[in-house]
Amino acid sequence: MAEKELHHRPEKIPSWKSDFPIEEEQATHVGRREFAKFLGLLSGTLALGNGVIVIKALAFPAKPLEGEHFVCNADEVAVGKMFQFEIEGSKIIPYILIHLEENEWRAFEQKCTHLTCAVRYREDLGKIECPCHHGFFSADTGEVLQGPPPRPLPRLEVVVRDGKVYVREEQQEQTV
Amino acid sequence: MSNFRRSQNEAHPNKTNTLMTAIIVLLILFVGIQIWFLFGALNNALQDNIYFALTTFIGSFLLALASFWLLRYLPDPLKKSQKKGNNQKETNKKE
Repeated sequence: MAEKELHHRPEKIPSWKSDFPIEEEQATHVGRREFAKFLGLLSGTLALGNGVIVIKALAFPAKPLEGEHFVCNADEVAVGKMFQFEIEGSKIIPYILIHLEENEWRAFEQKCTHLTCAVRYREDLGKIECPCHHGFFSADTGEVLQGPPPRPLPRLEVVVRDGKVYVREEQQEQTV
Repeated sequence: MSNFRRSQNEAHPNKTNTLMTAIIVLLILFVGIQIWFLFGALNNALQDNIYFALTTFIGSFLLALASFWLLRYLPDPLKKSQKKGNNQKETNKKE
């Protein structure tokens, strides 16, 4: 009998419930006030993000490539072919060297300006193609011909000396 | 005793609701414009266009200030106003 009585006695409220008297609905409910405050916080964060871009652009400007870099021997790349190479600086940046015609060489960064996919030279089209979203760049200037890329491919100047191919930062100012 | 605030609230019971909706719509508009600015700034900073990044930052900062300022006009929580109402009624009864 005593056991039964014990069994039927209403359960005690756990001590943590009395310590934190917050109902579940109260804790999980997101009111319109909270939502509006969250939007205010988001607005502040976005402004901060925009500020970070300005600070980064002012404090850490992009460094131009210094000096000439050897790529390969000129006879290694046939006319209409492409050669991939990398230049190690503060970051390793991949480039492509294109042998357009006799004594016509071009070098561009290999990262597509849309979403940094690796671009490649299409000999049959005479254009540089980004296979991810079908963006096309001019093989002559690196300008965008078609597709989603927002900017032209960064370009390097090619110097052929004694049968060897070198690249360096472009000397003349780029036309926008 | 009825006062101006109480009679206004009774005459326009949906006012709080409308105000809240207006504030949220404005905040979403501000945040939307800021996302647009941020996207543009990211793209243009990569092209060494610092002036665009600076202009969008100023715009975004002003919009953030406007958002914080709007939060001042959030209506009081319903529970509080109900209690206030009850208290008022009680005081009215006493009077």
